[in-house]
Amino acid sequence: MDVGNLVLFFLAGLSIAAVLFIVTAGLSLVFGALRVINMAHGSLYMIGAFVSWFVIVHLANALFGFWAALLVAPLITAIIGAVVEIFVLKPVYGKEHLLQLLGTYALTLIFAGLVRKVFGADVRSISAPAALNSSVPIFGHGFSVYQLFLIAVAVLVAAGLYLLLNRTGLGRNIRAAISDPQLLSTTGVNVTRLFTIVFMIGTALAGLGGVLVSPTSSVDPGMDSNVLINAFAISVIGGLGSLVGSLVGAVIVGLILSFGFAYPPTAHYAIAFVFAAMVIVLTIRPWGLFGRAEQ
Amino acid sequence: MSLLVEKLNVHYGKSHVIFDLDLSMADSEVLTLLGRNGAGKTTSLLGILGLVPGTSGTVSIAGSDVSALPTYRRSQAGLAYVPSGARCFPNLTVLENLDIAAQRRSSSNGAAPARWNKERVFELFPALAELKANLAGGLSGGERQMLAVGRALMSNPKVILMDEPTEGLAPVIVQSIGRLVQQLKQTGVGILLAEQNHQMALKVADRAAFMEKGRIVEEMPATQAVNSEVLHRILGV
Repeated sequence: MDVGNLVLFFLAGLSIAAVLFIVTAGLSLVFGALRVINMAHGSLYMIGAFVSWFVIVHLANALFGFWAALLVAPLITAIIGAVVEIFVLKPVYGKEHLLQLLGTYALTLIFAGLVRKVFGADVRSISAPAALNSSVPIFGHGFSVYQLFLIAVAVLVAAGLYLLLNRTGLGRNIRAAISDPQLLSTTGVNVTRLFTIVFMIGTALAGLGGVLVSPTSSVDPGMDSNVLINAFAISVIGGLGSLVGSLVGAVIVGLILSFGFAYPPTAHYAIAFVFAAMVIVLTIRPWGLFGRAEQ
Repeated sequence: MSLLVEKLNVHYGKSHVIFDLDLSMADSEVLTLLGRNGAGKTTSLLGILGLVPGTSGTVSIAGSDVSALPTYRRSQAGLAYVPSGARCFPNLTVLENLDIAAQRRSSSNGAAPARWNKERVFELFPALAELKANLAGGLSGGERQMLAVGRALMSNPKVILMDEPTEGLAPVIVQSIGRLVQQLKQTGVGILLAEQNHQMALKVADRAAFMEKGRIVEEMPATQAVNSEVLHRILGV
């Protein structure tokens, strides 16, 4: 394998990491503030991908379809998120974690059923928008412009989340909620509404990930659990609740998958390598590379 | 009247922990709540704040009934809280800890006793001004106590609930907290001071209420409580 190939697999790994980071950041943000592990996070990613397919195929012409989907799908998943947070999660806050897990797991079954009912079980595919549907030469090989676009979007999302959390009043309130929601309510902040907003941001990120991935993989009813497994692996490696952890974990998992699939002898084990990495991190640092040990 | 509490009852699950608590505080009055550990002082404050679910009774702040309102609305109506251990947001800077209480303060319920802002808080606590950009988690106990009080003031409260502000602090700092309570009283704010340190509390308070097993058992002017038989009987000093 020459240098050009290495660079190519590296970039391909980063483009896998890009989508995984966006999805995991949403999962992690929600866990950090609400202390809820949203099992239905992958379902919202799947819904994002199906909404993307629907918008592109039915509602708009091919030129604007993808860009419209990029706005519409996160909006829809954010609204679904608000409904879920208000009607499913609010009643079980402060109760045992098992109730939250069961509640959001029930949602994964409901969403999976609904998606099958509405869209059928067919595997669909979408092509990248015309403006990005080409390749650029890198070390003499062609590399997809769309995959570079994914990396750029992930960088923008990371920067946006950083600015949101560290430079805005909303972000300051979210950080305060992460450390002490009860104290926050005594300072006059409506924590109930803040939690809904945080959950909506989280599910919007899941939806965004679903749109972004749709031109690079098939859109099918099994994609919810696939992404959730990877997002959990990333969370464990990077540390649940840490954005930097999500970023580093996503890059590690993206590169493992990309290089794992690159060689025929290891291709079958690529996903196993991800879990091997997870086991190693769990053994050395059970709270993840950037997580904090629970007091 | 800065704070009026009538027949406040608190239940934790099946156990009844606060019984028919009645409190009334005039503007700029300091009322100290004295009692041994477990007498129900902290729980009473949490009940007034609306932070414990099994609470019944009436709570009014500056004349408006907030009994049906969630905690954040009570805060907006003029109720501020300085929790025990000077709890702050450790992962936020000193400045952010103050800013967080400055948002969304209501101006509808008449003029607050004093208008507080960051500049005035830093005038009151010059040491905090030096630490503006530091994370609250790295402050000393005394500095955190200043920050907790500063945060309470930033919401322009009509009444401040203080839960054992002197707990675990050095005698010099205890004295300065005593002076601080008197200073705040001058600005027109009412202070409900739950304390174990009865010497400091009775020095700065106008009235004292003694709690035992979730009930207020005696109430009297602070001057009368000093060295009283009640003090010896209830606090065992």
